[in-house]
Amino acid sequence: MMSNEITTIDLKDKSVRRDWQNFLMACGIKNFDDSELNPLDITIAVYENEEIIGTGSIAGDVIKYVAVQETTMSGHSTLFNQLMTKLENFMAVEGRFHQFVFTKPIYQKSFEYIGFKTLAECKQGILLEKGLPDIKEYLSTIPRPKTPIDKVASVVINANPFTNGHRFLIEEASRDNELVYVFVLNQEASLFHTDERIALVKAGVQDLSNVIVVNGGAYIISYLTFPAYFLKHNDSAIDYQTSIDVRLFKYKIASVLGITSRYVGSEPLSHTTNLYNQKLISELNPQIEVHVIQRKLAAGDLGVISARTVREAIDKGDETVWQKMVPETTQHFISNNLLELQQRIRKGQKINGN
Amino acid sequence: MEIKKTAIAGTLESSDVQIMLSKGTVGVEFDLVSDVAKQFADDIKLTIKETLGLYGIENAVVKVVDKGALDMVIKARTLTAIQRALDAVDQPNWEVL
Repeated sequence: MMSNEITTIDLKDKSVRRDWQNFLMACGIKNFDDSELNPLDITIAVYENEEIIGTGSIAGDVIKYVAVQETTMSGHSTLFNQLMTKLENFMAVEGRFHQFVFTKPIYQKSFEYIGFKTLAECKQGILLEKGLPDIKEYLSTIPRPKTPIDKVASVVINANPFTNGHRFLIEEASRDNELVYVFVLNQEASLFHTDERIALVKAGVQDLSNVIVVNGGAYIISYLTFPAYFLKHNDSAIDYQTSIDVRLFKYKIASVLGITSRYVGSEPLSHTTNLYNQKLISELNPQIEVHVIQRKLAAGDLGVISARTVREAIDKGDETVWQKMVPETTQHFISNNLLELQQRIRKGQKINGN
Repeated sequence: MEIKKTAIAGTLESSDVQIMLSKGTVGVEFDLVSDVAKQFADDIKLTIKETLGLYGIENAVVKVVDKGALDMVIKARTLTAIQRALDAVDQPNWEVL
């Protein structure tokens, strides 16, 4: 069998980049936005007669831009498996043994043959993972009731920061269910850091004995499943991402934890979150009941309680606003860390997203 | 012996096998992908288990992607994965080899 040499290629070299992009376009891959290309750590390729016949890239824990020419000398799947071995070994050398891949449904089998497992699929694409720590390991860290129970609610929040609105939503779920899982987004992209957000949620629901606060990990609204939550995307990308995120939640998380309902706040302010809520309703019902809870109004004429309004008030140092929107526990944290929070904003942390 | 860190050995190419070892708590847990799983899954697992046994490893999570590897290849790849997982690549266990 002929073995091809796999080389690392430099996409900063314009002619290399052009050949690479032309090859991928011929394979049906079209998205070369900077937001996709900038995170690439490494790109490898195989050449035959000075033309690319196969390539693949790594961006963090995601394997991207994998393509192999249909008619190669040594066979399509052989070359594919060689490229994937090389990419996985690159990551292993750095001590990373877990990888995700987004691909078209027609390539699902190719990835499953080399050990990938499907996390979620929709008609535009599928998300798979391989290695450890995987979703099974993630789920094993979440506490479960000792005896099976009927009504298990779920709430997913970024809590940036934890407000009276979040508290109200969780209270509603807590009152009508035996157990409530509150998943806090793990993505480090917010004014309040992940450990701070989780601590504030825990402090804010301490008195509710049937509430368990859980880190959402890579699997619930992250850069991986739903990047548009954090960065601007067009509506068709949002449609695809929300399908993946919601189906992963439904079939891989809720089914394992026995979750029977999900509580969300009505969303008058964010276009993306509103589309997400619609997707939750259309995908989860009737197996998982979606409760859309009317957003709470703040005292005075401030409108609905919104973490974004709180962040804007922090930016301006306007204590009167956040005092009306967040519980005491969050107030304490903001007062004690106001300068630090304002500094994060000055250093470029965006506060107008989610 | 206890596995110190996750390690991988082997390739995804034809006639080879890729083996990933990591810490376990409840015996040797397998996750095996192979075109010949129906006929040979038990044999593949036995070979790996015996090789782990040579090092006294009783708890491990083993992920296997088999591409039709022969027994001796499976053993060789498992040994390499073990040496890496024990952080002992420089001190091969000659008695086992």
